[in-house]
Order: sequence, then structure tokens, then C-alpha cells
Amino acid sequence: MSDVLIRNEPVPETQYVAAGVTISLAGPMQRYALRARRAEDLETVFQVTMPRKIGASEGGIACLGPDEWYLRTEAGATIPTASGLPVAITDISDRSICLVLEGPRAAEILMSGCPIDLDNFAIGRATRTIYETVEVIIIREAEDRFHVELWRSFAAWFWIAMTTAARH
Amino acid sequence: MILIHCPYCDEKRPEIEFVNAGQAHISRPLDPSSQTDEEWEAYLFIRANPRGRHHERWRHVYGCGRFFNAVRDTVTDKFETTYKAGEPRR
Ligand SMILES: [Zn+2]
Repeated sequence: MSDVLIRNEPVPETQYVAAGVTISLAGPMQRYALRARRAEDLETVFQVTMPRKIGASEGGIACLGPDEWYLRTEAGATIPTASGLPVAITDISDRSICLVLEGPRAAEILMSGCPIDLDNFAIGRATRTIYETVEVIIIREAEDRFHVELWRSFAAWFWIAMTTAARH
Repeated sequence: MILIHCPYCDEKRPEIEFVNAGQAHISRPLDPSSQTDEEWEAYLFIRANPRGRHHERWRHVYGCGRFFNAVRDTVTDKFETTYKAGEPRR
């Protein structure tokens, strides 16, 4: 029996520093997949305005599809449940990890394997896409800062891909 | 790289984000047990294979996740148009 739960991260917890970019693991956070036919129902549950345009993000909520949103909040936060409305709220906090790429070369390094034109990807935009063969969600937090959400089982490989691209 | 216009995302996205899901506008018979073997065979297996204009289902799997329909030329591989699932054939 262990008294302490140890969190094992799939990638190094120390920041990787290369010319023009740093790559680091974001701290733990809560993640939820939100599904609803009507965005209004989720707005009633969460008391926030849901972004309606696919690819838009607002207040930690990204609109990924016509009936799908991705919510990220700080670790330990609680969210409303049991609304009685036709919505699905699924806790997927530990399914993914988030890598933070920061620096003037961040977009270039992501584009080493991602087909999206990130030079023309507005700040605040969020989208599901692909890096090589791995599904990722890319969120542009700032001009020089991207968050990449990906399933933790792919993280060790993705870390190698990112740090290798950063070294070149 | 081919860019495909996703009617849900309403923008052109790289082909690698999509998968082809076969011929479009094939609906499952509402009452399968009323079908003859030949009708059921046609529903399950018989597909068009035109040279030229072809209606196909595609899915923006690494994107919004949605299925939609497309008209693609099988000779030139050019997409003529794409439209949302449920909209009439173009
Ligand atoms: Zn799409």
C-alpha cells in the first residue's frame, strides 16, 4: 500500500531549451469534452458564452466541431454536472498532456510535421489537427506561444519529435 | 498537397486531415427485412465506379470530426464542391 500517489509524466519535467524555442510540459489541469446539439444548453450549464465558430476559443473553451467543445481549467477545479439538459460532459483530464512551445521558432517547429499554416493562424485559435500520424489539438496562446494537447501515450514520441526539430 | 474545403470548418484544410468514406448518398433501407436478397446485396456491395464526376463521403477526422459529401473528379482528383451531410446531391 502506498500512501502517496506519484505522478509519472511521460516526458521530462525540465524545460528543453534550444535556439529560438523552449519546450515544456504544462502542469496538470482539468480537461473536459463537451458535446451538445445546442450551444445554448452548455451556456445554461456553465453560465458562459460558448465560442460558436469552429476553431475559436474563449475563456478556456475551444470549439472543435459543430457540436463539440474542449474545456480546460486549473487542476482541482469543479464544474457543474447533472443539469438535466441534453449535454454530455466527460472528464478527460488525464487522457492528454499539454506541451508548451514558446519562442520565435515555435510555429516553425510545429510545422515540421503539422500541415497547418501556423504562420497564418490567429492568436486565440484552437484546432484539432495532425502531427505526422498523431492527433493533436493546437492552441495559439500568444504570438510566440503554442499549447499542444495530445494523448499521453504519444507524448514520449512527440517529445523526441519536437526536441529533434528544435535542434535542427 | 491537396487542400479540401470542409463545409463545417468553412475553410480549406490539408488532405491528410481527412479520410475518404466511400460513395455518398447511399441510405440504409428503412425496413431491411422487406428487402430481397438482390436488393440487400445492391445496398451492401454494389457501388458506382465512374470515370470522372463522383459523389463521395469524406470525414474531417483530424479536424472537426464531421462527415460531409464531396464531388470529386476521379480522373483529375480535383474537388468540384463539398457540402454538409443531409444536403441534397449536387
Ligand atoms: Zn472540418
